[in-house]
Amino acid sequence: MLLASLKDVDFGYSDVPTLHNASLEVHSAEFVAVTGPNGASKTTLLKLMLGLLKPWKGKVQLARKRDDGSRLTVSYVPQQIAAFNGGFPSNVQEFVLSGVHSRGSWLRKVTEKDRAAAEKSLRQVGMWQLRSRRIGELSGGQKQRIIIARALTQRPDLLIMDEPTTGMDQESRAGFYELMRHMVEVHGMTIVMVTHGLDECRPYLDRIIELERKGEGGWKCCSTTLCNGHFVPAG
Amino acid sequence: MLQYDFMQRAFCAGGLIAIIASVLGVYLMLRRQALMADMLSHVSLAGVAAGAYLNWNPTLSGFLTAVVGAVAVEYVRRSYKTYSEISVAIIMVGGLSTAVVLMSLNKSISKSFTSYLFGSVVAVDQTQLVLMAAVTVIGGLFFFLLRRPLYQMTFDEETARVSGLPVGLISMMFSVLTGMIVAAAMPVVGVLLVSSLIVLPASLAIRIASRFSAALLLAVGIGLTGVFAGLTASYELSLPPGGTIALVLLALLLIGVGLKKAIRFVRSKSSHVAAADTEMHTYGPIPRLSGDSHNH
Repeated sequence: MLLASLKDVDFGYSDVPTLHNASLEVHSAEFVAVTGPNGASKTTLLKLMLGLLKPWKGKVQLARKRDDGSRLTVSYVPQQIAAFNGGFPSNVQEFVLSGVHSRGSWLRKVTEKDRAAAEKSLRQVGMWQLRSRRIGELSGGQKQRIIIARALTQRPDLLIMDEPTTGMDQESRAGFYELMRHMVEVHGMTIVMVTHGLDECRPYLDRIIELERKGEGGWKCCSTTLCNGHFVPAG
Repeated sequence: MLQYDFMQRAFCAGGLIAIIASVLGVYLMLRRQALMADMLSHVSLAGVAAGAYLNWNPTLSGFLTAVVGAVAVEYVRRSYKTYSEISVAIIMVGGLSTAVVLMSLNKSISKSFTSYLFGSVVAVDQTQLVLMAAVTVIGGLFFFLLRRPLYQMTFDEETARVSGLPVGLISMMFSVLTGMIVAAAMPVVGVLLVSSLIVLPASLAIRIASRFSAALLLAVGIGLTGVFAGLTASYELSLPPGGTIALVLLALLLIGVGLKKAIRFVRSKSSHVAAADTEMHTYGPIPRLSGDSHNH
């Protein structure tokens, strides 16, 4: 199933386009990395895909419904969100649990199942022991991990992350890539992530999208590299 | 002192406003819009002056102006995210200067100018009390029914939007409500001190609470304490209510922050080593799945 696509998209912040003729497709149950040098509009590409930015021209599509007709859930882990809202008066568990509210009614009761889901996500990112800490007391890498845990609690069909491993130590990064691979293979999640650490995550990926410089200074998308035989063009 | 009609009204009004303004303050502060209350009160003053000049009910015209101002601010905020401070300053100057000029045209209102600027318990009339009750009910419903979307949005708007919340709509409703609460709070503490009711309880509560609901309740408690203590003191000592309430709230904030620092200092002396020790044993990196993938 096609989850998200960009077709001949132009976008820029001033009058010069920074992204030119970008086209890409993301299918379900893929683990895709977006890479390119600084300033290559990687974050812009994600935001366009999510509909947070409107393209100048071209077409952006993000699936709204799953195959069975139910609403498709998308989660976004922005770049260095950890730097913001340090004084947020909430503890880790409450924060991660808030992920369950992206489905169902805003007023429904929190069930045991919800709590179990939040606990599982917290354990998956190794933060369960710090569950009663205030968010503001965590380090940057720890904040990054609880934001990922919240996104996992949402059980998204499409998970989009912008440099999620910033601030993580090497062992955590390895654990993180394994966890993401697991989510793709076992739960059929689709993951798109911007990263600079391609060497480390290459074995876990299905596909790499590389942003390349065009002649006139804009950036062009995208050369797609298949990785490791993981790639299965799911229907 | 409660045998007097006007003091009863002042306590009712103060209590209502303390509850709703404190809750609003927590959200405003976390959304980095703490100055918005100040700005809207200045804009609202222009509405009061215009109402008096045109022989309308100044309370209602001030109320409407604050709401319209809030909608305008929400649009400005969307288009100029990076310049929000400048837009606050510009709109504030516009409101206050309009108010000053309009008031000078109308001699009767310029006499009660100070009561608008600094608040006055006798200024609370029946219309205002009804308005405050209505605003408190509407605000209470809004904050209760939308508590979960608001929690997500307050943490981060982009992630909230991606997960499917109608962020634009809720944000606009929040702005309108802010205008309503600010306009309703003006008679109690005055234009210049409206933000004391909104910002001070919230800033202490945010520092102390470790859960979101606790922060909201704590802010309400601090707000009520400050308003009731301030009104009592202003009655007993014949002080202006707005300034007294703001000073009491300021004192509460200083005491609260001081106490928190003291407690942390004492705790860190006694348990620093032990805490660091246990943490090292129980907290680690993201666990690898390779060894125990059957768990998942």
